[in-house]
Amino acid sequence: MVRITVRVNGKEYTREVVESRTLLHFLREDLSLTGTKEGCGAGECGACTVILDGQAVNSCLILAAETDGSTIETIEGEAKNGKLSRMQEAFHNHHAVQCGFCTPGMIMTIKDLLRRKPKPSRDEIIDGIEGNFCRCTGYEQIIEAVLDVTGQLGKKEGLRHVR
Amino acid sequence: MIHDFRYVRPERLDEVLDLLSDRGEKGCVFSGGTDLFVDIRAGMTTPDYVVDLKGIESLHHLSFDKKEGLSIGACVTVNELIQHEAVKKHYSILAIAGRELASHQIRNRATVVGNVVTASPCGDMASPLLCLDAEAVILSNKGSRNILLSDFVTGVKSTTLRPDELVEKIIVPSRMIDATGGYKKLKRIRGHDLGVVSVALLKRKDTLRFAISSAAPTPVLLPDFPPSASVEEVQAAAQQAISPIDDVRCSREYRAFMVNVFIERLMKGAE
Ligand code: FES
Ligand code: FES
Repeated sequence: MVRITVRVNGKEYTREVVESRTLLHFLREDLSLTGTKEGCGAGECGACTVILDGQAVNSCLILAAETDGSTIETIEGEAKNGKLSRMQEAFHNHHAVQCGFCTPGMIMTIKDLLRRKPKPSRDEIIDGIEGNFCRCTGYEQIIEAVLDVTGQLGKKEGLRHVR
Repeated sequence: MIHDFRYVRPERLDEVLDLLSDRGEKGCVFSGGTDLFVDIRAGMTTPDYVVDLKGIESLHHLSFDKKEGLSIGACVTVNELIQHEAVKKHYSILAIAGRELASHQIRNRATVVGNVVTASPCGDMASPLLCLDAEAVILSNKGSRNILLSDFVTGVKSTTLRPDELVEKIIVPSRMIDATGGYKKLKRIRGHDLGVVSVALLKRKDTLRFAISSAAPTPVLLPDFPPSASVEEVQAAAQQAISPIDDVRCSREYRAFMVNVFIERLMKGAE
């Protein structure tokens, strides 16, 4: 066991952790932050994406022990006082969530993308989410949600107008 | 994880070399962990302990110097490499090939040196580095040695690295800064898949140089061609040099076919 201290969504946690435990399992099982999902466990699907010290990473391929002293952002940090974040709101409005399994990872990946590129083109969005599988939406709704939240969607585009 | 192991994070290089020279227990060094933890999870490797190299300051070094060339420390990530100004300017083939490696999340962790040391026939960094005459600088308790990457990789996931040795860095010579080039990779799914086959082309004033991955047990470097070489000439040499296999990702014939397609596209500057 090792003792680690991490700051997750602004809150500090100190825990004894099994050395071979992944960051993903630490978040889900030790901290009960089950928003972050495990799809493949092997770096392929992106469902486990969190932001670690400002960088989007696959938490299934990182040991909790490696993250001692780090700052971590997960999907639980998005909604504040029961109010969805702008990105969550856009996902909702554009039907970018179907089963929802990819959504937490997708939103963290996009959050990181928008910090690096505040107004990504459609191609840059597609490139940006290349590490996140979505088996439901066909990606189009997700791309429209990102275009909308960055002010790049025309009045009649996307699903916003049908609501 | 399915298999339990201990975690150590030394702060000095000599501690790592001491650990590696002690053959009592099985240790694995890592930095990004994007290959190692996949293997451990799959039960393909079962170390007693893992050694995190990221605590060692000097291994994060990425620098360019007109005399020494480009130096890529063991902990430099693929994203650090491809975003580096000197790499984009002087070694564009590395930036182009690095961009093809897995996804942004993986590139934030995976290292250039790790991709070469893992020596998977489908790694993306080896073939452009071979074209650039890159060398590995290898350390152990007994001293250090330099080796050309073309001599370093010996087979599928095998290299000349001894168990007590560590690759400290990779050096790309400065004489290559005038080179341009390209990299074409076939994969089934963008961002998620290993390369099915790929071809790197390095263009210099007086030579064309090709390296091919996923078409033989090791990346294959073709002999140099003059700039006047024809597409057919290069394709013929390539087909002689490769020995592709059938596997779950594609057939031998398709691999051989795509090598020819990529050679033609690279030589004609097509997408
Ligand atoms: S669970 Fe981590 S990438 Fe799929
Ligand atoms: S909404 Fe189901 S996988 Fe994306």
